[in-house]
Amino acid sequence: MAERTTPIRVLIAKPGLDGHDRGAKVLARGLRDEGFEVIYTGLRRTVDAIVAAAIEEDVDVVGCSILSGAHATLLPKLVSSLRASGAGDVLVVAGGIIPEADRPALEQAGIAGIFGPGTTIAEVATFLRANARRR
Amino acid sequence: MPADAKHLAARRELAQGISAVERPGPAANQRIQAALAVSVAEARNALVVGLTGAPGAGKSSLAAALADVARAAGRRVAILAIDPSSHESGGALLGDRVRIDEHPDDDGRFTRSIATRGSGRSLAHVAAAATILVEAAGFDLIFVETVGAGQAEIGIARLADVLLVVEGPEGGDEVQAMKAGILEVADIVVVNKSDRPGAQGAFDRLRSGLALGAGAPELALVSATAGAGIGELLATIDEKGASRGARGRTRRVEAHLVAAAESHVDAQVREATASGALATRAEQIVAGTQSLTGSLAALFGITESPDA
Ligand code: B12
Ligand SMILES: Nc1nc2c(ncn2[C@@H]2O[C@H](COP(=O)(O)OP(=O)(O)O)[C@@H](O)[C@H]2O)c(=O)[nH]1
Ligand SMILES: [Mg+2]
Repeated sequence: MAERTTPIRVLIAKPGLDGHDRGAKVLARGLRDEGFEVIYTGLRRTVDAIVAAAIEEDVDVVGCSILSGAHATLLPKLVSSLRASGAGDVLVVAGGIIPEADRPALEQAGIAGIFGPGTTIAEVATFLRANARRR
Repeated sequence: MPADAKHLAARRELAQGISAVERPGPAANQRIQAALAVSVAEARNALVVGLTGAPGAGKSSLAAALADVARAAGRRVAILAIDPSSHESGGALLGDRVRIDEHPDDDGRFTRSIATRGSGRSLAHVAAAATILVEAAGFDLIFVETVGAGQAEIGIARLADVLLVVEGPEGGDEVQAMKAGILEVADIVVVNKSDRPGAQGAFDRLRSGLALGAGAPELALVSATAGAGIGELLATIDEKGASRGARGRTRRVEAHLVAAAESHVDAQVREATASGALATRAEQIVAGTQSLTGSLAALFGITESPDA
């Protein structure tokens, strides 16, 4: 019987004290309409809280939205915590206000994709479908 | 390395188990049976509390508030939050965690968002199986939140040991109107947001309306966000659930069997619709070239025994 394949599960997180949530919400709704199961955690979550949520929800992708400038510390910490918790196969992507100059270091740290202002939902959806773990 | 990495291992195993039973089949069934065996061997006796009601009534906030009180008393608490999948895209936006604090270091808590996926009936097919796995993982108190919409109530009423219907301050009148449906299956009707004007009025309207029937549900007035009446509500829940005995677990298995049957039929209907077989058969029945009885057998394997 032609059963639909399992939707890709994505956690959309807002780490740290950043209160800009428009982008995260636009993305959450947009990805739902693209067929993803999107878990939105709300504002001001710690890295440990995001890791625990990613594990409890058994997501394939964690997407962080950061417009506060705290990406350089928060994102590498998130990747290493996920790895330490046995969730190293979860794809980590980020978006928001992340200067070009900071990107190589983040990519080095294991952030698979970085999406700035003007990104379309279709771009993000295509990237996640191509890069999220298969099951 | 974070201090909680080891802690998270247990939650990860449970989380992956729930994902596994979201894909129905013999492997999922084996996993569910193994979980049942664990619960029987360990003499588990989880209490499953259903929460239903309109979006925005405060179900997630209330589950979180009840979980906090129960956890403070040393109970191990899980929340399963079910939201509908989009029929068009198959995707879902699961936002209940926004209302539920994270406790990354506490293995006595577990929260999982569940999309209804193919379930035509809005209580996810996997809901019962998830409660069985969660019980085996050692959680005593399991909240299952589901959007109140038509058929979902029947599913959650079948699964839950104690069913809460949650209303906002605007409720009362409208609850009266649907009395025949929800209130028949509710164990406790909760008017939430007692911190807001109108809540007391809604509570009073409900009380006068409900006082009539025998076996009427309990009534509670609480504020999930201000923390008013939560301890009392938990006590009422425990009272209502106290008599369940071993019935709780068999109830969950029954709910899973029904969900599996519904899932099977839903898949057949999707298949027959997608392949065009449904439309073709309907045309043939209208044209008189096929019978209804023969078509039910051909499409869905339904064999009707002759009328007695
Ligand atoms: C609207 C806005 C606000 C609103 C926010 C409302 C809200 N609820 O979101 C308000 C007025 C509250 C606000 C406040 C502040 N803001 Co402001 N704000 C903006 C503004 C103008 C637009 C942001 C926005 O909503 N864009 C629309 C959304 C849809 O776009 P987006 O978030 O970029 O998301 C897109 C992509 O980035 C990507 N994306 C985003 N997240 C993710 C995640 C993933 C996983 C992926 C794949 C993609 C992705 O996809 C989205 C769709 O294309 C920006 C400037 C700008 N041009 O970005 C400043 C800006 C972000 N704000 C800024 C600042 C400094 C502040 C304040 C500190 C200002 C102050 N002194 O009061 C406060 C702090 C608020 C707080 N608590 O954190 C700075 C940040 C500077 C920095 N990072 O170095 C900016 C860049 C302005 C500037 N040039 O100085 N702000
Ligand atoms: N004033 C007040 N607001 C509440 C209360 N409980 C929930 N809310 C708010 O009601 C909205 C919906 O709550 P939520 O728990 O998400 O409702 P759900 O859709 O039924 O799960 C949120 O903005 C909550 O903060 C309460 O007791 N008092
Ligand atoms: Mg909710």
